[in-house]
Amino acid sequence: MNNEVYSFALKSTLQEIQNICPDVSNSFIFKDGKILAKDETTPEKDINHTIDAFDSITEKADLIGGLEAVTIQGANGRVNIACMNDFYLTTVSSKEADEKYVNTLTRILIPIVIRLIEKIHPALPEDGTFTTVEPEPVEDEVAEEVAEDSESDLPAEETAPTEDEEERFAPEVDPEPLLPEAPVTQLIVENLGGLLVPSDTVRIDNEVIAQWNDLYGDKKLHEVNLETLSGKTTRCKFKPMKNSKQTGKGVIGIPEKIQLTLETSKGELVMVKPIVE
Amino acid sequence: MVKKKQSLHETSTTVIVDDEADVTPNEEDPAFTNLSQNLAEIRKETGVIGYILRSSTSATIDLKEPEKIVEYALFSSQVLDSSREISELFKIDTIESVLIEGKKTKALCMDIDGIKISIFMEKNADHADILKRVSP
Repeated sequence: MNNEVYSFALKSTLQEIQNICPDVSNSFIFKDGKILAKDETTPEKDINHTIDAFDSITEKADLIGGLEAVTIQGANGRVNIACMNDFYLTTVSSKEADEKYVNTLTRILIPIVIRLIEKIHPALPEDGTFTTVEPEPVEDEVAEEVAEDSESDLPAEETAPTEDEEERFAPEVDPEPLLPEAPVTQLIVENLGGLLVPSDTVRIDNEVIAQWNDLYGDKKLHEVNLETLSGKTTRCKFKPMKNSKQTGKGVIGIPEKIQLTLETSKGELVMVKPIVE
Repeated sequence: MVKKKQSLHETSTTVIVDDEADVTPNEEDPAFTNLSQNLAEIRKETGVIGYILRSSTSATIDLKEPEKIVEYALFSSQVLDSSREISELFKIDTIESVLIEGKKTKALCMDIDGIKISIFMEKNADHADILKRVSP
Protein backbone atom coordinates (compact mmCIF):
# COMPACT_ATOMS: atom_id res chain seq x y z
CA MET A 1 0.00 0.00 0.00
CA ASN A 2 1.28 3.46 -0.69
CA ASN A 3 1.17 6.33 1.77
CA GLU A 4 -2.63 6.35 1.94
CA VAL A 5 -2.78 6.73 5.70
CA TYR A 6 -0.39 9.64 5.68
CA SER A 7 -2.25 11.25 2.86
CA PHE A 8 -5.69 10.68 4.38
CA ALA A 9 -4.77 12.06 7.79
CA LEU A 10 -2.95 15.06 6.37
CA LYS A 11 -5.75 15.75 3.92
CA SER A 12 -8.27 15.69 6.75
CA THR A 13 -6.09 18.07 8.71
CA LEU A 14 -5.83 20.45 5.78
CA GLN A 15 -9.60 20.35 5.44
CA GLU A 16 -9.98 21.12 9.15
CA ILE A 17 -7.61 24.06 8.82
CA GLN A 18 -9.71 25.42 5.98
CA ASN A 19 -12.88 24.87 8.01
CA ILE A 20 -11.41 26.77 10.94
CA CYS A 21 -9.91 29.47 8.73
CA PRO A 22 -12.21 30.07 5.75
CA ASP A 23 -9.70 32.67 4.58
CA VAL A 24 -7.36 29.80 3.67
CA SER A 25 -8.39 28.98 0.12
CA ASN A 26 -5.78 26.39 -0.83
CA SER A 27 -3.47 24.13 1.09
CA PHE A 28 -1.28 21.19 0.28
CA ILE A 29 1.75 19.32 1.60
CA PHE A 30 4.68 18.05 -0.39
CA LYS A 31 7.95 16.34 0.31
CA ASP A 32 10.90 15.72 -2.00
CA GLY A 33 8.93 17.11 -4.92
CA LYS A 34 5.97 14.80 -4.42
CA ILE A 35 2.47 15.72 -3.29
CA LEU A 36 1.62 14.06 0.03
CA ALA A 37 -1.75 15.64 0.64
CA LYS A 38 -3.90 18.35 -0.87
CA ASP A 39 -7.23 19.96 -0.35
CA GLU A 40 -10.09 19.36 -2.76
CA THR A 41 -9.92 22.71 -4.46
CA THR A 42 -6.32 22.90 -5.65
CA PRO A 43 -5.59 21.26 -9.02
CA GLU A 44 -2.66 18.89 -9.05
CA LYS A 45 -1.20 20.73 -12.03
CA ASP A 46 -0.98 23.97 -10.03
CA ILE A 47 0.67 22.17 -7.14
CA ASN A 48 3.29 20.64 -9.42
CA HIS A 49 4.04 24.05 -10.90
CA THR A 50 4.37 25.46 -7.41
CA ILE A 51 6.75 22.68 -6.40
CA ASP A 52 8.87 23.34 -9.51
CA ALA A 53 9.01 27.05 -8.78
CA PHE A 54 9.82 26.38 -5.14
CA ASP A 55 12.57 23.90 -6.07
CA SER A 56 14.15 26.55 -8.29
CA ILE A 57 14.51 28.79 -5.26
CA THR A 58 15.70 25.93 -3.07
CA GLU A 59 18.51 25.13 -5.50
CA LYS A 60 19.98 28.58 -4.90
CA ALA A 61 19.16 28.83 -1.21
CA ASP A 62 22.52 27.63 0.14
CA LEU A 63 23.35 31.31 0.32
CA ILE A 64 20.90 31.74 3.19
CA GLY A 65 21.68 28.40 4.80
CA GLY A 66 18.92 26.41 3.14
CA LEU A 67 15.27 27.27 2.78
CA GLU A 68 12.86 27.24 5.71
CA ALA A 69 9.94 29.30 4.52
CA VAL A 70 8.71 31.47 1.70
CA THR A 71 5.95 34.05 2.07
CA ILE A 72 4.67 35.77 -1.05
CA GLN A 73 2.47 38.72 -0.23
CA GLY A 74 0.27 39.74 -3.12
CA ALA A 75 -2.22 42.57 -3.44
CA ASN A 76 -5.09 40.08 -3.05
CA GLY A 77 -3.64 37.35 -0.89
CA ARG A 78 -0.69 35.50 0.45
CA VAL A 79 1.10 32.25 -0.31
CA ASN A 80 3.15 30.69 2.44
CA ILE A 81 5.37 27.64 2.05
CA ALA A 82 6.80 26.47 5.36
CA CYS A 83 9.08 23.59 6.20
CA MET A 84 7.78 21.28 8.94
CA ASN A 85 9.97 18.37 9.79
CA ASP A 86 10.81 17.23 6.25
CA PHE A 87 7.46 18.31 4.84
CA TYR A 88 6.54 21.54 3.12
CA LEU A 89 3.12 22.94 3.88
CA THR A 90 1.71 25.45 1.44
CA THR A 91 -1.21 27.66 2.39
CA VAL A 92 -2.88 30.26 0.22
CA SER A 93 -4.91 32.78 2.14
CA SER A 94 -6.81 35.94 1.40
CA LYS A 95 -5.41 39.32 2.31
CA GLU A 96 -7.84 39.52 5.22
CA ALA A 97 -6.55 36.33 6.87
CA ASP A 98 -4.72 36.74 10.15
CA GLU A 99 -1.28 35.54 9.16
CA LYS A 100 -0.13 34.84 12.70
CA TYR A 101 -3.28 32.88 13.51
CA VAL A 102 -2.95 30.75 10.40
CA ASN A 103 0.75 30.17 11.04
CA THR A 104 0.21 29.25 14.67
CA LEU A 105 -2.58 26.85 13.78
CA THR A 106 -0.70 25.11 11.00
CA ARG A 107 2.57 24.95 12.90
CA ILE A 108 0.85 23.15 15.74
CA LEU A 109 -1.62 20.92 13.93
CA ILE A 110 0.48 19.56 11.10
CA PRO A 111 3.49 18.48 13.21
CA ILE A 112 1.14 16.79 15.69
CA VAL A 113 -0.57 14.83 12.92
CA ILE A 114 2.76 13.88 11.38
CA ARG A 115 4.02 12.65 14.76
CA LEU A 116 0.82 10.72 15.35
CA ILE A 117 1.10 8.98 12.02
CA GLU A 118 4.75 8.24 12.61
CA LYS A 119 3.79 6.73 15.94
CA ILE A 120 1.23 4.53 14.24
CA HIS A 121 3.56 3.68 11.39
CA PRO A 122 7.09 3.95 12.71
CA ALA A 123 8.43 1.72 9.96
CA LEU A 124 7.50 4.05 7.13
CA PRO A 125 10.33 3.65 4.66
CA GLU A 126 12.07 6.63 3.14
CA ASP A 127 10.42 6.18 -0.22
CA GLY A 128 7.16 7.08 1.48
CA THR A 129 5.49 3.70 0.99
CA PHE A 130 4.14 1.34 3.59
CA THR A 131 4.95 -2.32 3.63
CA THR A 132 1.91 -3.47 5.57
CA VAL A 133 -1.74 -3.36 4.72
CA GLU A 134 -4.04 -1.62 7.12
CA PRO A 135 -7.65 -2.73 7.40
CA GLU A 136 -10.10 -0.03 6.34
CA PRO A 137 -11.57 0.61 9.82
CA VAL A 138 -8.13 1.64 11.00
CA GLU A 139 -8.01 4.43 8.45
CA ASP A 140 -11.47 5.53 9.49
CA GLU A 141 -10.38 5.75 13.08
CA VAL A 142 -7.26 7.68 12.18
CA ALA A 143 -9.41 10.11 10.23
CA GLU A 144 -11.78 10.52 13.13
CA GLU A 145 -8.91 11.18 15.46
CA VAL A 146 -7.53 13.86 13.20
CA ALA A 147 -10.92 15.47 12.88
CA GLU A 148 -11.13 15.63 16.64
CA ASP A 149 -7.65 17.16 16.86
CA SER A 150 -6.34 13.89 18.25
CA GLU A 151 -6.86 15.12 21.74
CA SER A 152 -6.35 12.49 24.37
CA ASP A 153 -6.59 8.99 22.99
CA LEU A 154 -3.70 6.75 22.29
CA PRO A 155 -3.75 5.98 18.58
CA ALA A 156 -1.55 2.92 18.87
CA GLU A 157 -4.12 1.21 21.04
CA GLU A 158 -7.06 2.06 18.84
CA THR A 159 -5.66 0.81 15.60
CA ALA A 160 -6.18 -2.84 16.43
CA PRO A 161 -2.95 -3.95 14.82
CA THR A 162 -2.60 -7.22 13.03
CA GLU A 163 -0.41 -9.95 14.48
CA ASP A 164 2.46 -8.98 12.22
CA GLU A 165 2.19 -5.44 13.29
CA GLU A 166 2.02 -6.41 16.93
CA GLU A 167 5.30 -8.21 16.52
CA ARG A 168 6.84 -5.31 14.68
CA PHE A 169 5.70 -2.68 17.11
CA ALA A 170 6.23 -4.85 20.21
CA PRO A 171 9.43 -3.16 21.37
CA GLU A 172 7.72 0.21 21.21
CA VAL A 173 4.69 -0.72 23.25
CA ASP A 174 4.81 0.94 26.60
CA PRO A 175 3.29 -1.03 29.50
CA GLU A 176 1.75 2.26 30.68
CA PRO A 177 1.10 3.79 27.36
CA LEU A 178 -1.76 6.13 28.04
CA LEU A 179 0.19 9.31 27.36
CA PRO A 180 0.43 10.62 23.84
CA GLU A 181 3.77 11.64 22.41
CA ALA A 182 4.65 15.10 23.60
CA PRO A 183 3.97 17.52 20.75
CA VAL A 184 6.79 19.66 19.47
CA THR A 185 5.76 23.23 18.85
CA GLN A 186 7.78 25.85 17.04
CA LEU A 187 7.57 29.24 18.68
CA ILE A 188 9.15 32.58 17.93
CA VAL A 189 11.57 33.91 20.51
CA GLU A 190 10.71 37.16 22.28
CA ASN A 191 12.90 38.85 24.87
CA LEU A 192 11.78 38.42 28.46
CA GLY A 193 13.25 40.78 30.99
CA GLY A 194 12.55 42.79 34.11
CA LEU A 195 13.60 42.94 37.72
CA LEU A 196 11.25 40.24 38.97
CA VAL A 197 11.58 37.89 36.04
CA PRO A 198 13.12 34.55 37.06
CA SER A 199 15.99 33.66 34.79
CA ASP A 200 15.06 29.97 34.67
CA THR A 201 11.48 30.34 33.50
CA VAL A 202 10.13 30.96 30.02
CA ARG A 203 6.71 32.38 29.17
CA ILE A 204 4.72 30.40 26.65
CA ASP A 205 1.74 31.30 24.49
CA ASN A 206 -1.44 30.50 26.46
CA GLU A 207 -3.01 28.73 23.49
CA VAL A 208 -0.12 26.30 23.29
CA ILE A 209 -0.36 25.55 27.02
CA ALA A 210 -4.12 25.06 26.70
CA GLN A 211 -3.51 22.54 23.97
CA TRP A 212 -1.01 20.65 26.12
CA ASN A 213 -3.48 20.65 29.00
CA ASP A 214 -6.16 19.25 26.71
CA LEU A 215 -3.75 16.59 25.57
CA TYR A 216 -2.53 15.52 28.99
CA GLY A 217 -5.54 16.21 31.18
CA ASP A 218 -4.59 15.90 34.85
CA LYS A 219 -0.88 15.47 34.29
CA LYS A 220 1.20 18.27 35.72
CA LEU A 221 3.27 20.21 33.26
CA HIS A 222 5.90 22.45 34.79
CA GLU A 223 8.89 22.15 32.53
CA VAL A 224 9.70 22.16 28.86
CA ASN A 225 12.57 21.13 26.65
CA LEU A 226 13.71 23.87 24.30
CA GLU A 227 15.68 23.11 21.17
CA THR A 228 16.97 25.54 18.58
CA LEU A 229 17.24 24.80 14.89
CA SER A 230 20.99 24.47 15.38
CA GLY A 231 20.43 21.69 17.90
CA LYS A 232 21.13 23.51 21.18
CA THR A 233 18.84 22.23 23.92
CA THR A 234 17.94 23.12 27.47
CA ARG A 235 15.30 22.25 30.01
CA CYS A 236 13.55 24.95 32.00
CA LYS A 237 10.37 25.89 33.81
CA PHE A 238 7.52 27.59 32.03
CA LYS A 239 4.58 29.82 32.80
CA PRO A 240 1.85 31.26 30.60
CA MET A 241 2.33 34.61 28.90
CA LYS A 242 1.23 37.52 31.03
CA ASN A 243 0.61 39.79 28.09
CA SER A 244 -2.75 38.78 26.61
CA LYS A 245 -1.92 40.65 23.40
CA GLN A 246 0.66 37.99 22.61
CA THR A 247 -1.79 35.13 22.97
CA GLY A 248 -2.19 33.12 19.79
CA LYS A 249 0.83 34.70 18.15
CA GLY A 250 3.06 31.67 18.59
CA VAL A 251 5.69 33.40 20.69
CA ILE A 252 7.78 32.35 23.67
CA GLY A 253 9.34 34.83 26.08
CA ILE A 254 12.85 33.70 26.97
CA PRO A 255 15.10 35.37 29.57
CA GLU A 256 18.50 36.48 28.37
CA LYS A 257 20.31 33.77 30.32
CA ILE A 258 18.43 30.98 28.56
CA GLN A 259 18.83 32.75 25.21
CA LEU A 260 22.59 32.73 25.78
CA THR A 261 22.51 29.03 26.68
CA LEU A 262 20.61 28.27 23.51
CA GLU A 263 22.61 30.74 21.43
CA THR A 264 19.36 32.15 20.14
CA SER A 265 17.78 35.58 20.07
CA LYS A 266 14.58 37.46 19.42
CA GLY A 267 12.82 36.52 16.21
CA GLU A 268 14.36 33.06 15.89
CA LEU A 269 12.43 29.83 16.15
CA VAL A 270 12.74 27.32 18.97
CA MET A 271 11.09 23.93 19.27
CA VAL A 272 9.26 23.49 22.53
CA LYS A 273 8.26 20.15 24.00
CA PRO A 274 6.48 19.74 27.33
CA ILE A 275 7.97 17.38 29.90
CA VAL A 276 5.23 15.19 31.28
CA GLU A 277 5.67 14.04 34.87
CA MET B 1 34.83 42.50 6.49
CA VAL B 2 35.37 44.69 3.44
CA LYS B 3 32.23 46.42 2.32
CA LYS B 4 31.98 47.49 -1.29
CA LYS B 5 29.30 49.25 -3.19
CA GLN B 6 29.05 48.62 -6.89
CA SER B 7 27.01 50.58 -9.35
CA LEU B 8 26.26 49.22 -12.76
CA HIS B 9 24.93 51.71 -15.29
CA GLU B 10 23.24 50.99 -18.64
CA THR B 11 24.94 47.67 -19.27
CA SER B 12 26.78 45.14 -17.21
CA THR B 13 30.01 45.98 -19.02
CA THR B 14 30.33 49.28 -17.18
CA VAL B 15 31.06 48.63 -13.57
CA ILE B 16 31.83 51.36 -11.10
CA VAL B 17 33.30 50.13 -7.87
CA ASP B 18 32.90 52.67 -5.13
CA ASP B 19 34.29 52.05 -1.67
CA GLU B 20 32.45 54.97 -0.16
CA ALA B 21 29.24 54.40 1.72
CA ASP B 22 27.25 57.05 -0.15
CA VAL B 23 24.77 56.09 -2.78
CA THR B 24 25.67 56.84 -6.35
CA PRO B 25 22.77 58.95 -7.62
CA ASN B 26 20.97 58.10 -10.80
CA GLU B 27 19.51 61.41 -11.78
CA GLU B 28 17.54 60.02 -14.68
CA ASP B 29 15.25 58.01 -12.41
CA PRO B 30 14.08 59.75 -9.25
CA ALA B 31 12.32 56.61 -7.98
CA PHE B 32 15.55 54.66 -8.25
CA THR B 33 17.47 57.43 -6.54
CA ASN B 34 14.97 57.62 -3.69
CA LEU B 35 15.07 53.88 -3.17
CA SER B 36 18.86 53.97 -3.32
CA GLN B 37 19.03 56.55 -0.56
CA ASN B 38 16.40 54.73 1.46
CA LEU B 39 18.27 51.44 1.20
CA ALA B 40 21.57 53.08 2.10
CA GLU B 41 19.96 54.17 5.36
CA ILE B 42 18.46 50.73 5.98
CA ARG B 43 21.86 49.17 5.28
CA LYS B 44 23.20 50.92 8.38
CA GLU B 45 20.73 49.05 10.60
CA THR B 46 22.03 46.24 12.75
CA GLY B 47 21.33 42.88 11.20
CA VAL B 48 21.11 44.09 7.60
CA ILE B 49 23.68 42.20 5.56
CA GLY B 50 23.23 44.08 2.32
CA TYR B 51 20.99 44.80 -0.61
CA ILE B 52 20.65 44.69 -4.36
CA LEU B 53 18.70 47.40 -6.17
CA ARG B 54 18.17 46.89 -9.87
CA SER B 55 16.21 48.70 -12.55
CA SER B 56 16.26 48.02 -16.29
CA THR B 57 19.19 50.40 -16.71
CA SER B 58 21.00 50.61 -13.37
CA ALA B 59 21.96 48.58 -10.37
CA THR B 60 23.32 49.31 -6.93
CA ILE B 61 24.75 46.52 -4.84
CA ASP B 62 25.97 46.77 -1.29
CA LEU B 63 26.81 43.46 0.32
CA LYS B 64 28.91 42.24 3.20
CA GLU B 65 30.33 39.51 0.99
CA PRO B 66 31.20 41.21 -2.32
CA GLU B 67 32.74 38.00 -3.62
CA LYS B 68 29.26 36.48 -3.63
CA ILE B 69 27.58 39.22 -5.64
CA VAL B 70 26.73 36.90 -8.51
CA GLU B 71 25.20 34.30 -6.21
CA TYR B 72 23.11 36.92 -4.45
CA ALA B 73 21.98 38.39 -7.77
CA LEU B 74 21.01 35.01 -9.18
CA PHE B 75 19.18 34.11 -6.00
CA SER B 76 17.24 37.40 -5.98
CA SER B 77 16.29 37.03 -9.60
CA GLN B 78 15.14 33.43 -9.07
CA VAL B 79 13.06 34.38 -6.04
CA LEU B 80 11.18 37.06 -7.96
CA ASP B 81 10.68 34.86 -11.04
CA SER B 82 9.43 31.87 -9.05
CA SER B 83 7.23 34.06 -6.87
CA ARG B 84 5.64 35.59 -9.94
CA GLU B 85 4.83 32.09 -11.25
CA ILE B 86 3.27 31.09 -7.94
CA SER B 87 1.32 34.33 -7.57
CA GLU B 88 -0.17 33.83 -11.04
CA LEU B 89 -1.18 30.25 -10.20
CA PHE B 90 -3.07 31.31 -7.09
CA LYS B 91 -4.25 34.66 -8.40
CA ILE B 92 -2.99 36.74 -5.52
CA ASP B 93 -2.45 39.65 -7.89
CA THR B 94 0.62 41.87 -8.00
CA ILE B 95 3.43 40.82 -5.67
CA GLU B 96 4.02 43.33 -2.90
CA SER B 97 6.82 41.47 -1.18
CA VAL B 98 8.48 38.10 -0.84
CA LEU B 99 10.10 36.97 2.38
CA ILE B 100 12.54 34.09 2.08
CA GLU B 101 13.59 32.64 5.40
CA GLY B 102 16.69 30.51 5.49
CA LYS B 103 18.31 28.64 8.34
CA LYS B 104 21.02 31.31 8.67
CA THR B 105 19.64 34.50 7.15
CA LYS B 106 16.55 35.81 5.40
CA ALA B 107 15.83 37.98 2.40
CA LEU B 108 13.09 40.44 1.57
CA CYS B 109 12.46 40.87 -2.15
CA MET B 110 10.21 43.37 -3.89
CA ASP B 111 9.44 44.68 -7.32
CA ILE B 112 8.36 48.30 -7.18
CA ASP B 113 7.33 49.59 -10.59
CA GLY B 114 9.97 47.53 -12.33
CA ILE B 115 12.69 48.30 -9.81
CA LYS B 116 13.76 45.07 -8.16
CA ILE B 117 14.93 45.15 -4.56
CA SER B 118 16.45 42.41 -2.45
CA ILE B 119 17.47 43.08 1.12
CA PHE B 120 19.45 40.45 2.98
CA MET B 121 19.42 40.36 6.74
CA GLU B 122 20.08 38.32 9.84
CA LYS B 123 17.25 36.14 11.07
CA ASN B 124 16.47 38.39 14.01
CA ALA B 125 16.27 41.57 11.93
CA ASP B 126 12.88 43.27 11.82
CA HIS B 127 11.84 42.61 8.23
CA ALA B 128 8.36 44.05 8.82
CA ASP B 129 9.85 47.41 9.74
CA ILE B 130 12.18 47.33 6.75
CA LEU B 131 9.26 46.47 4.48
CA LYS B 132 7.33 49.48 5.77
CA ARG B 133 10.28 51.75 5.11
CA VAL B 134 10.78 50.55 1.57
CA SER B 135 7.16 50.16 0.47
CA PRO B 136 5.72 53.05 -1.53
